[in-house]
Amino acid sequence: MDNSSLAGSLFQRWLARNKYSKLRSAAPRRQGHCIECMKHLKLYFYLHSNLDPLTETYGIPFYLQYLAHWPEYFIVAEAPGGELMGYIMGKAEGSVAREEWHGHVTALSVAPEFRRLGLAAKLMEMLEEISERKGGFFVDLFVRVSNQVAVNMYKQLGYSVYRTVIEYYSASNGEPDEDAYDMRKALSSDTEKKSIVPIPHPVRPEDIE
Amino acid sequence: MAARGHVQDPNDRRLRPIYDYLDNGNNKMAIQQADKLLKKHKDLHCAKVLKAIGLQRTGKQDEAFSLAQEVATLEPTDDNSLQALTILYREMHHPELVTKLYEAAVKKVPLSEEYHSHLFMAYARVGEYKKMQQAGMALYKIVPKNPYYFWSVMSLVMQAISAQDEKLAQTMFLPLAERMVEKMVKEEKIEAEAEVQLYFMILERLGKCVEALDVVRGPLGEKLTSELRSRENKCMMMYQRLQLWPECNALSYKLLLKNPDDWQFYLSYFDSLFHLMDKSWSQPEEGEHCVEGPVQTTVAEAVKFVVDRMEEQDKKESRPLRGPYLACLELIHRLRQRGCPDEKELGDPLELMVQFFGKFGDKPCCITDLKIYLHLLPPEQRSQFKKRLGELVPLGEAGEDGFGFPGDTKALQRHLCVCQLSRALGLQHALDTEGKLRLITELKAHYHHGLQFGKSCLKTELQFSDMYCLMAAHVYVDLWTETGDENMLWQCLGVLEEGLSFSPSNAQFKLLLLLLFCRLGAFQPVVDLYSSLDAKHVQHDTIGYLLTRYAGSLGQFAAASQSCNFSLRFFHSNQKDTSEYIIQAYKYGAFEKIPEFIAFRTRLNQSLHFAQVRTERMLLDLYTEADVTLSLEESVKAMGVCPEEDDIPWDNMRDNRDLTVLVSWDPKDRELTEEHRRLSLEEESVWLKVRSLTLRLLASLALLGHAPSPRNSDKTNENGISAKSSTLQTLLSQLDQTLETAAQITEKQTQVHTLIYLSNKGLRRCGIWEVFVMLFIQFLSPDDSTELQTQICNAFKSSVAQLQEMLSRCKGEVLEMKDGRLTTRPSLLETLVFFVETVCVVLWVASYSASVLRPLKSSLQKKKKKKKDSSSAMVLRYYLTFILRRPFSKINEECGFTRAAMDKVQSSYLGSLQELGDLLRKRADSLKSLKI
Repeated sequence: MDNSSLAGSLFQRWLARNKYSKLRSAAPRRQGHCIECMKHLKLYFYLHSNLDPLTETYGIPFYLQYLAHWPEYFIVAEAPGGELMGYIMGKAEGSVAREEWHGHVTALSVAPEFRRLGLAAKLMEMLEEISERKGGFFVDLFVRVSNQVAVNMYKQLGYSVYRTVIEYYSASNGEPDEDAYDMRKALSSDTEKKSIVPIPHPVRPEDIE
Repeated sequence: MAARGHVQDPNDRRLRPIYDYLDNGNNKMAIQQADKLLKKHKDLHCAKVLKAIGLQRTGKQDEAFSLAQEVATLEPTDDNSLQALTILYREMHHPELVTKLYEAAVKKVPLSEEYHSHLFMAYARVGEYKKMQQAGMALYKIVPKNPYYFWSVMSLVMQAISAQDEKLAQTMFLPLAERMVEKMVKEEKIEAEAEVQLYFMILERLGKCVEALDVVRGPLGEKLTSELRSRENKCMMMYQRLQLWPECNALSYKLLLKNPDDWQFYLSYFDSLFHLMDKSWSQPEEGEHCVEGPVQTTVAEAVKFVVDRMEEQDKKESRPLRGPYLACLELIHRLRQRGCPDEKELGDPLELMVQFFGKFGDKPCCITDLKIYLHLLPPEQRSQFKKRLGELVPLGEAGEDGFGFPGDTKALQRHLCVCQLSRALGLQHALDTEGKLRLITELKAHYHHGLQFGKSCLKTELQFSDMYCLMAAHVYVDLWTETGDENMLWQCLGVLEEGLSFSPSNAQFKLLLLLLFCRLGAFQPVVDLYSSLDAKHVQHDTIGYLLTRYAGSLGQFAAASQSCNFSLRFFHSNQKDTSEYIIQAYKYGAFEKIPEFIAFRTRLNQSLHFAQVRTERMLLDLYTEADVTLSLEESVKAMGVCPEEDDIPWDNMRDNRDLTVLVSWDPKDRELTEEHRRLSLEEESVWLKVRSLTLRLLASLALLGHAPSPRNSDKTNENGISAKSSTLQTLLSQLDQTLETAAQITEKQTQVHTLIYLSNKGLRRCGIWEVFVMLFIQFLSPDDSTELQTQICNAFKSSVAQLQEMLSRCKGEVLEMKDGRLTTRPSLLETLVFFVETVCVVLWVASYSASVLRPLKSSLQKKKKKKKDSSSAMVLRYYLTFILRRPFSKINEECGFTRAAMDKVQSSYLGSLQELGDLLRKRADSLKSLKI
């Protein structure tokens, strides 16, 4: 939510619904490989102490927004020594009636020294399980077309390219914008796996929900 | 602009262009459009507010505020005006005014669900918990929806959390909240998971663990479904609180069978096991052990359990998990702590660790995992351990230099891990100088050899062999601290610069370079290094200290001021941002998050670093920017400094600095301890106090200076002045005390050789602050004017003497070439900076006394004043020529990267001196204009 936008205020959207939100909220848990419990407070500091150039660091509002809406979709793995190994952050969205209700992976990040341990796969599995419980039809995610390592990993985990989104990633410093793959994996509610039938033509970012 | 639900209202149509302009950042057009509209429709209040938003965003706060108040006093009830005002007040950092707005609105439209909920949120933004509770209930009465009811309940919980008096929380707020929920439970009105969560939260805070367990295990607990293992986690928490060790043990066991890699459950499993053994708990003869299933009570069972888990992994086709192997080492550690001989059943720790290395040695996390358990090895086994590991590293044939190299990145990682472990075991530290230099050669050779694996790496990726380079730098630092040979430091800088050239995004290289440059007193290269780290958000708080603590004291005032601004911007936005998400958490029923968000906000607001940058920024302004001859009062007012008020939370100061941001493989006895942290915080706090008192003293001077005609009107004004001068006196005595404490701390500080821990050099300068204190003290006897003037004169005379003395201490060369070696004396630079700062303070005082003396026509004073003036100016002039005369030695030819580092240091020194010189020249000019 852009703070400067006057119209379409949060309140209005909220008043239309006037529920805690369709999603049930719960305390996030830190689970997975060799992990120890920790207060989320510590987490904010952890995430931002991350100086790895390849790991995206989002603004505090971004994390707080997810923690306020979908705390259960925020899972963190910590090593026995207390180091942050990785985290996944996601949400549930889409229309149930149109069978588009699904889990979405917003961010998945594993610290460099804890890569190649299968942690990403474990975190994805957990996100899928949460989405499964919510009755989602599929889980989706966006990935840079150029990020072959990630694309292959997701393929191994059962994801397939549903469509290409043109210039989804806006680039800085004069480089061209980059396309994204919208990858999906069907969940058990989608018995015929209708949700993952690929769309042959690329779409523009404004055409996706 | 997103679509507004209903656009039938013609006013919406009229306002739309203004919204669009504002949304697009075109504030000028928005103001024009609003003016146009207001000409036709004088009473279209919303247009006024939108205009005010435009004004606010173009920096015209006062105009915007009065315009907004015009509308607010009319107590508007139209949605557009209210929302626009809400946004305006938030941007102005006046969220409390939003509450007034909606209080008026609900009075006029008492049945509006919308306005009531806005009112609730407005209270939430400013944390008015009591009023939130009432607003929530008022809402529920209008529209009986569950969320409203539970908002009210949560507001009670917040009253409990924020209550100063814990008793009040336990006997009033929480029980009331509990009853409110119980009422809904009885009426079977509980709908959402969030409501059960909140119920659990209340019971937990009340310490009613049995009741909390009943809720989780009962039908209400069935609603806890979103989160994975939500019920299990909550049960476990309660078992531990209730010390129900059988249940705790059985549940941990169950969960570990499902996921043998979940570390927290190994810990609870071991904890509960030993508790049960200590209590000699015995299993009931019949039936289940406990509700959670079978309980394990003997070491033998635990050993078998762990060994089974390991075997399970051994048999697995796919990638083994680390958990069971580490659990084995953890169990040995715990058994050893208890003096239990059964640890032998698990095997020899050395063998187990060698095994672990065999399985995970090619993963970068191997060192992190094993480091925790290295203490299980007796000292005499250390070399043997290293040798055993070495056997598991495939290296090629040794070349001429006697080093064999790995053939691929996996072998490289293994070899690197052995190096890291041997450092962590203290084997590297035990080497003599020769040995260390040989080690450096080896590490460098491995570093260069390993670069071939990363030829295709992108700029953002790290080189596989980077850690060798970093370790070589660490060994150089060891040598430097042991021998004091500055050449080691230059070599270290060289190796790091080289590393950075191959791996431009390696944060560790940058951090260490940054630290070492600061040690050398060269701040210029630090600015670039820090900005290339691309610190964001909380990083401004956690690692911002690396930048700000040295900036000012090394004579780079412009850079210092800028770096303070970066941090300040972050801290200011935190307050606003966090409040919005607290509101969202209410909306989405994430009640557990609310106290967390608030604690987060508090932690940042009470940050040591926040207080430091706040204070330094203002001091810097006073020293460098402000115009002495104009008004100190104005500068002080603009900064909002109030001498009577201390805005630093001394008792609740949070130290958010990440002191371990630099990677270190040092052995345990060299690691940063809690005691180091405490000392460092103590030191920082005292220094901060000195700085903040200086600032407040200057501020109080401003108020004193502008008391109504201080000397003219006899003694009628004495009272007013003495009230103010008593503030001055209080501050002075505080400063005096603080300086004394500081001196004690400096004495107490022992030399700590941890790489990361650098003592605050600032404290060493404290001695000189006495000049400043003396100046003030002598200055403070406003009874008799003749005496006063004599005293002022004396004070200035002695201060000039002191300044001269200080200056003489600054003589010398910062950079020197001796016997072909480069040596630096950064302390000279610091002393110089301090001299300049003191000159600035003296000038402020001089300017104040000039304003006091001006009305008195005594020629005697004039003369004396002038004398002071000229001698001070003399000092300055002397200083200036002194700076210009300062020769710089030519740096001898050195190999590329080291040479580059030397150049950087030299150019930074020049920059600092330039900046100091400029400031002094500016101050010398203001001194001239002060002449009476």
